[in-house]
Amino acid sequence: MTDNLTVFIVDDDPSVRDALGLLLGVHDYRLAVFADADSFLRALKPHWHGCLLLDIRMPGMDGLSLQKKLLELGCDLPVVIMTGHGDVDSAREAFRAMAVDFLEKPLDGTRLLAAIAEAFERQRQAADAAASRSQIQRRLDGLTPREREVMARVVAGRHNREIAAELAISPRTVEVHKARMMDKLGVASVAELVRLSLG
Amino acid sequence: MHKHLITLGFVGLYVALDAASFIHPLHGLNITPWNPAPALGLVFLLRRGPGARPVLVGAVLLSEYLVRGVPFPWWDSVLSALILAAGYLLLSEALVRRMSPSTLLDDRAALLGWMLPVVFGTLLNSLVYVSSLHVLGLLPPGGWLTGVLQFWVGDAVGITVAMPLFWWLSGERGRLALRAALVGWETLGYSLLGLLALWVAFGLGGDGGFKLFYFLFLPIVWASARQGMAGAIVSATLLQVGVIAAVQLLDFSAVTVAELQMLAVVMALIGFFIGGVVDEQRRTSDELRQTLRLAAAGEMAGALAHELNQPLTAMGAYASAYDALQARGEGGARLDAAINGMRAEARRAGEVVRRLRDFFRTGATKLEAVPLAEIVAAAAAHYQAKARQSGVGFCVAEMPELMLLADRLQLEVVLRNLLSNAFDAVAAADAGARQVSIRAERLPGELVSICVEDSGSGLGRQDLERAFESFHSSKSSGLGLGLVISRAIAETHGGRLWGEVADHGVFKLVLPIQETPRP
Repeated sequence: MTDNLTVFIVDDDPSVRDALGLLLGVHDYRLAVFADADSFLRALKPHWHGCLLLDIRMPGMDGLSLQKKLLELGCDLPVVIMTGHGDVDSAREAFRAMAVDFLEKPLDGTRLLAAIAEAFERQRQAADAAASRSQIQRRLDGLTPREREVMARVVAGRHNREIAAELAISPRTVEVHKARMMDKLGVASVAELVRLSLG
Repeated sequence: MHKHLITLGFVGLYVALDAASFIHPLHGLNITPWNPAPALGLVFLLRRGPGARPVLVGAVLLSEYLVRGVPFPWWDSVLSALILAAGYLLLSEALVRRMSPSTLLDDRAALLGWMLPVVFGTLLNSLVYVSSLHVLGLLPPGGWLTGVLQFWVGDAVGITVAMPLFWWLSGERGRLALRAALVGWETLGYSLLGLLALWVAFGLGGDGGFKLFYFLFLPIVWASARQGMAGAIVSATLLQVGVIAAVQLLDFSAVTVAELQMLAVVMALIGFFIGGVVDEQRRTSDELRQTLRLAAAGEMAGALAHELNQPLTAMGAYASAYDALQARGEGGARLDAAINGMRAEARRAGEVVRRLRDFFRTGATKLEAVPLAEIVAAAAAHYQAKARQSGVGFCVAEMPELMLLADRLQLEVVLRNLLSNAFDAVAAADAGARQVSIRAERLPGELVSICVEDSGSGLGRQDLERAFESFHSSKSSGLGLGLVISRAIAETHGGRLWGEVADHGVFKLVLPIQETPRP
């Protein structure tokens, strides 16, 4: 799990890197520091998890450009932006590119930690959502074609009798399929089934 | 008590001026070609306000009695003096709206606002006064037109030439400015030139109808061009007194005196307008310099704010880390690292603040002898690391051994600015083609040319023109004042800064060098 708690710091100022490193280290985060956007991009691996702490003003590629580039690359690391010039335009740009937070330098330690915690929380939620989505998918994959036909009609709000007529089977058989389908999907009511089918 | 003394002094001076200027009177009446006393009266009224009106009327009456006696029935004399005094009261009413107590009449708008009421007010006053004399039968038949003209000339000239002097003398600021002008050696110079010009105009050229009168323009133009309104006032007063003295010595007729007075007023006005323009221009240039200094300070402060943010951020983070360690009772290496980090960052922040203070100190350019190589090295040092990091070939050529008379910090700002632009210009180029160089060569005429070149795409003529305008920046940070400020700094050093149209970036800074290189 600690592997998921890595904070990647990209800032051109060595003292800032050192100080943030110490602070986050004290709070049991793992760290990876980079002096500029290029070296981060060179090192970036697709399986990396964690959170990215980015300074805007850097020589070479600036923080906002790096953030956009990462979005293009499909990298889903949550990003916290730091800047000395907190102007509305760059804040807007950062949030449009899905930044978790936009912090002004000099940083407030508590807010920084809160922002990083929020970034990890978001990542965890995203991971949870992805996990439950794949679990549901697995369950859906376990349905027989007939059960899937029944499910589609139940979700569409048809009664058992209508479904029986449409599929040319007896209402009793429809009930059996429906019960097994709901059992396999682990839902107790039609309402739950509808919610699940909406994803 | 003080106020009464001034009132008494005013009345005395008024009568004295009237007596001194009671020359060439027309028909023994108060119609003279030079009448400066009303100027004093107007200034007294404008400074004192409505409460001074009775004093002025009293002074006019007293003067009438003391200077001219009572040559005709006393009620006529009193009536004409009252009419005259009423005219001055009205003129002061017209002026009070145009002249704020703080004005020194040293710009064109104020001068016009003062002069037009004076010219037309005195004409009106002359018409009414001389007509009243006419009605009272004090003027000989047919003397009306000459009377009106002479009185007008006398009053208009008297007020125009003398009023700025009295106005300045009656205010603190004006007194200081006049005193400052009087102690200059140039005042002696144009005064002597004034005497010489008077001698040439009246002594040499007097017989030929003053063909050489235009020499009188020289001292007044000198004075007003160099000392502004203060010089104009001093020289106009000198010439007026000189012309009157010459008139008395050479015993001219009243008509000639009136002509000469027209000349005096034209000279005075030319002097005042030159002086006003010079003062205006001086103020504008002071304001511009102040604005540029503020802009430079703002630019500098922006850059320094960024530099201050870094140590403050680091300090905050160290402090937060310290708190967390302290809370869990952890000591050792990490606690030490936090404390040492804070100490180092505090020092760094202090350094930034010191630089800011240095810059404000040098708001006034402080020149000292500095080796060129030292300034270039200091500026270039900031870019060596950057060059390595971003793969830019950075070439600092060997500098010729010479000394600049320069403000070290300001010139460093200029060079850093040029280098920073050069590095930005090559940032977009291919890795192998990033080159920045700085070199210098001595030019004839005790000059040195410092040239910053980059392998970027260079600037076209239009880009270059815009680059030196405020608030035009191709960069996302800063206000785009860098080159504007750099050029201003170069110019305060007696140098120039410009960009050249080329296929790569070329900026040249030419500075004067100290003439004798240190052995």
